[in-house]
Amino acid sequence: MKQAYQTLNVSKKNSIELSLKILLVDDEKEFVLTLSERLQIRDMWTAVVFDGKSALDLIHTDAPEVMIIDLKMPVIDGIDVLKQVKQTKPEIEVIVLTGHGSEQDKKKCMGLGAFAYMQKPVDIDLLSKSLKKALEKIKANKSPVI
Amino acid sequence: MKRLQKFKSAFWNQRDIAGSHLHAGFNFARKWKLIVLFTSFMALLPLFVMTLVDFNLTRRTIEDEVKTSISKILSSAAAYISFCKEMNQHDLNFITRFESGEDNDMFVVNQGGTLLTSSFYYGNEGSPTLFINTLSKAKTGIVETITPDGESVIAGYTRVTGTSLILVLVKSKKKLTDLWLKPRLKLIGYLFVSIILILLSIMGLATLLVGRIHSADKKRLKALHHAGYTNKLASIGRLASGVAHEINNPLAIINQKTGLIMDLVTLKKELSSDERLMPLANDVLDAVNRCSTITRRLLDFARHMEPSIETVNIEEVIGHVLAFHKKEAKHRSISISVDSPDSIPEFKCDRGSLQQIFLNLVNNAFAAMKDDGRLDIGIKLNKKKAVVITVADTGSGISEDDIHNIFEPFYSSKDKHWGTGLGLSITYGLIKEIGGDIMVKSKIGKGTSFTLILPITAEAINDKG
Ligand SMILES: Nc1ncnc2c1ncn2[C@@H]1O[C@H](COP(=O)(O)OP(=O)(O)OP(=O)(O)O)[C@@H](O)[C@H]1O
Ligand SMILES: [Mg+2]
Repeated sequence: MKQAYQTLNVSKKNSIELSLKILLVDDEKEFVLTLSERLQIRDMWTAVVFDGKSALDLIHTDAPEVMIIDLKMPVIDGIDVLKQVKQTKPEIEVIVLTGHGSEQDKKKCMGLGAFAYMQKPVDIDLLSKSLKKALEKIKANKSPVI
Repeated sequence: MKRLQKFKSAFWNQRDIAGSHLHAGFNFARKWKLIVLFTSFMALLPLFVMTLVDFNLTRRTIEDEVKTSISKILSSAAAYISFCKEMNQHDLNFITRFESGEDNDMFVVNQGGTLLTSSFYYGNEGSPTLFINTLSKAKTGIVETITPDGESVIAGYTRVTGTSLILVLVKSKKKLTDLWLKPRLKLIGYLFVSIILILLSIMGLATLLVGRIHSADKKRLKALHHAGYTNKLASIGRLASGVAHEINNPLAIINQKTGLIMDLVTLKKELSSDERLMPLANDVLDAVNRCSTITRRLLDFARHMEPSIETVNIEEVIGHVLAFHKKEAKHRSISISVDSPDSIPEFKCDRGSLQQIFLNLVNNAFAAMKDDGRLDIGIKLNKKKAVVITVADTGSGISEDDIHNIFEPFYSSKDKHWGTGLGLSITYGLIKEIGGDIMVKSKIGKGTSFTLILPITAEAINDKG
């Protein structure tokens, strides 16, 4: 399944968010579609997949800069997705957003190199802030260090 | 009967306190009786047997002795008579009188049983004695018989050789018994006293023993109940965290959909014509926030993560927690005092747990107090080298009925908006995890004081010393 990154508002070409490509992975369709729409309203390019396998397929064909993943998903769960992403494409920042989060899960995810760990239901502003931070980090990594 | 009741041990009226479901029960009174009966039997039986044997043996030896002495006297007297051959009445009288005394009655009868000399028991010369018919043909012998006065006696006799005379020596049995029974009775008296002492000490020991078992049993039951309660809390925790996780997903949907509505309203101006739309959406978000506070606290409650142990300074932790409340305290003119007379060593503990424990307690205290209240925190070391911390407020207090419920999850007297009722159950769980204990005392209208006992490991004390 190919998924093009979309945004609602293409008018503000110069906003920093424009350059951010986000892949949302969650089996809660209603949730993830709505979240995606709201992020698009906030001038971000988003794509949505509903399971871990499609997500892993997609990162090789059309890699996002940031991924937002749920932990508990059928077939391949979030932890495995996180592991594989960090192994194959470590430059992708991963934000874990889950309703099934214990402290242990949090430690594990952070240990595996997740960028942030958030609990559902999350405030959109908090999520945006975290995304912005991720963008800054990516930019800092890209710019040549002299 | 009432006075007896006072001496009864606590276990006496306790039947089967373990309840039917735990084990077959233990009837303490019955056990006590069994122990007392069995031990008394075992201790007293040899005593009784020995006394009985001794009693019979003495009686028999004394009787035998008397019998031999009778036959000795008789044979010497008979020998004398037969030696003299020609004996007149006067001589016979002399001999018999010589041998008769206080206990002895010696006399001579002819073959027909008629007295030839006077007898103490059978009268003067010429009187008949009936018992002579019962004598055997043997030359000598001893019989037991009863005198005309009704006294039982031992009579020894010997036929004097060469004559038709029978020499008789009678001894009163009663006098004989007196000889050995009195000292025996004294001994039996001593025996009786010692039996009573033995019985008393057996009963005392049995009471002590069963009392010990009883109290151990009680302790065990308490521990069982405690374990049951902790188990109950743990399973409630698992259930709660499951529910919380499941609820979080639909909550997230509501949250996002409402957020989207608000986004759309702000984007498309024509939709915002109704002024109530935004406040309504905000109300929904408020409700979602309330729900998510509950689910978050439920997850806290069920938290079973590895505690991150570090060295903590308890005064510092408490100071840190109180810092959150400085502003509110000032605003409501509530005075806070922290009193720690002993120097408390640093000890190893989960700092996050400690913070949460004190945050919950202080929050509750602040909620219970009106303005001008007082919050006193005392930190002490007790003898068992544990830290004892009291958190006392001058708030509303808790009634006797409610005080049993305050550690239960979801028990809250507060408005639904303010209290989830999870604070103290989380506190309880955390303290148990640390290995401590929490107690509460309260008086309606006066205030409430929570006492925490936190163990500090031996190494912590060594560090300081
Ligand atoms: N210091 C106190 N003084 C008076 N009542 C208290 C005190 N501490 C606790 N309580 C009573 O115990 C109840 C349970 O307390 P708990 O902390 O478990 O829940 P809560 O404070 O109601 O809710 P939450 O802590 O989740 O906000 C309270 O509602 C209150 O009635
Ligand atoms: Mg509370």
